[in-house]
Amino acid sequence: MTAEGRPAHGAASAGAAVVVRGVTKTYGRGAAAVHALRGIDLDVPANRLSMLVGPSGCGKTTLVSIITGVLDPTEGRVSVFGNEWTEMSADRRTRARSRMIGFIFQQFNLIPTLPAAENVAVPLFIRDMDRTEALDRAAGALRAVGLGDRVRAFPGELSGGMQQRVAIARALVAGPRLLVCDEPTASLDGKAGQAVMDLIRGAASGDVGGEPRCVIVVTHDSRVFHYADSIFEMEDGRLKDHVSRTIMDQAGAGATSGAGPTPGAGPFQAPTNGTKEP
Amino acid sequence: MYRIALRMLFGDRGKYLSLVVGLSFAVLLIAQQGAIFLGLILRSTGPLQNIGQADLWVADPHTRYIGDIRPLSDRDLGRVRSTPGVAWAEPFVTTRAVVELSDGSYKSAQLIGIDRSTLIGQPPEMVAGSLGDLRGPDAVIVEESSRGKLAGAGIGDTFRLNDKRAVIVGIARAKTGFESNALIYTTVDNALGYTPVGREAISFFLVRVKPGADPGAVASGIEERTGLGAFTQGQMQSRSVGFILKETGIGINFGITVALGFIVGLAIVTSVFYQFTLENLRHFAVLKAMGARNMVLVRMVLLQAVIVGFIGFGIGTGAAALFSLSGRRPGAELAVYFPWPLLIVSFVAMLVCISMGSLLSLRRVITLEPAVVFK
Repeated sequence: MTAEGRPAHGAASAGAAVVVRGVTKTYGRGAAAVHALRGIDLDVPANRLSMLVGPSGCGKTTLVSIITGVLDPTEGRVSVFGNEWTEMSADRRTRARSRMIGFIFQQFNLIPTLPAAENVAVPLFIRDMDRTEALDRAAGALRAVGLGDRVRAFPGELSGGMQQRVAIARALVAGPRLLVCDEPTASLDGKAGQAVMDLIRGAASGDVGGEPRCVIVVTHDSRVFHYADSIFEMEDGRLKDHVSRTIMDQAGAGATSGAGPTPGAGPFQAPTNGTKEP
Repeated sequence: MYRIALRMLFGDRGKYLSLVVGLSFAVLLIAQQGAIFLGLILRSTGPLQNIGQADLWVADPHTRYIGDIRPLSDRDLGRVRSTPGVAWAEPFVTTRAVVELSDGSYKSAQLIGIDRSTLIGQPPEMVAGSLGDLRGPDAVIVEESSRGKLAGAGIGDTFRLNDKRAVIVGIARAKTGFESNALIYTTVDNALGYTPVGREAISFFLVRVKPGADPGAVASGIEERTGLGAFTQGQMQSRSVGFILKETGIGINFGITVALGFIVGLAIVTSVFYQFTLENLRHFAVLKAMGARNMVLVRMVLLQAVIVGFIGFGIGTGAAALFSLSGRRPGAELAVYFPWPLLIVSFVAMLVCISMGSLLSLRRVITLEPAVVFK
């Protein structure tokens, strides 16, 4: 059974946090139609860090938007921990999203007029948590990402790396089961990017933010591929059949993080199609 | 979430100030233009406001305006006085005259003639001199703000009024008329002496009804007996205002000005608030993606609109009120009247402005795709 009380997908999807079946997304019509996704089938494993990789315009962001329920597919079904977005009303989907999903964005998307603690507490405010309790938890989340002394700092007073760590704290503060990160290192230099990926990796394992959780990272930054347990490579709106070992090896060879996991560590999910263990 | 909405609003001082200044300016435009409009209208009934003793004004039945006079015969005065329910009736003259100044120039003046014995129709307040001195030969009382128009004339000064001698015996405070001419009080006899117009020379009969008598019934009795019109103060005021609005073009012209003020204000507020929402749209999208429902975002936007609206309303009406104070100075040429109903009108106008502004913003927020956070 799922968090919403409905049965999960069939045996083929057992253990998958996110199940995507036959998803297409088309913008426009006729000759002007743009096919962003062309029939995606995907199982994202629970409690693992999975990456969606591929060149710009390949459909990564569209796919992750559909997975998080902020965008409707043209066709197909998406289930997150047994909650099938396409069967839910917009309001119910919004509530489910607030309970289950944490977001980390490329541009951080912090509210510049709120201090760090209040930015972090936003998901708790959305859930109508008492303000004092929410701010206490936010302060704890900031300590967990190493910013316990910057509780009152405004985003404009923080470096890019610090802002992304605040965003990570915000994403984790409500204890989501799924963490979705869109190009989390794209706006950061190498060192800050690694620090951020260490935290995200920790979020998947449960070292940061308590429980292990499913983490999906959208990225085309090959320097961070080695943090992944699973990699789904996309091209032209489709999942490629194989993950390139070359890419993984190159990324692994280039990895310098001492705190990060061993390059290539962790299992690669063998889904119904799309990826296979390298 | 409301706190977040307020922090978003107050946190960016540049945007917040532009919002408040825009809305304040809009409210100021509406309130100030409205106050000037009302001030002009009120000024048109100035002579009416100066006279508190009369219950009825008897005039030609077709009289449209306090300054639109068809002279009455003093023979009718006896008929009015003999109408049941009339306590007293006194003649009242209002006419124009020319004042010759010592430097050879001249000024138009509104000459008010009141009954010599009862002084009914007297100015509301004496600033200097005695009202009783008006009974002296060639005596006139000059309205306070009119002194400037008469080269600063004071008590004891003499001047030529329609080529006849007049001596100032007092200075009074009274409301001037619509035309803003110098206002000069004298007795009916003197007024008729200065401006001889034949047998029928009385402008109005001022009538007081007996205690307990119904002014409406007394007015009907006077109309029946004399063929004249008998109007209550309110009716006379309405006629004067109606005349100014319809016959002078002030209504349409000032109406357009006030409407333009409202439209400009509306445009400013709508565009500034919409721009504010657009600049925060990404934050709203993030909140939406994180699970904030549309209704929560709607309330946040409305709260921001209401807060900005109230602050802008306070500043705008405060500025308009200060502006109107300058019109209350004795002798001020500025015709400004700022009654409390104008506050309500300004408040409603502000509500319309922020409603329109927030409607556009709400439409954007409600239809906002949270997927934009990934772009």
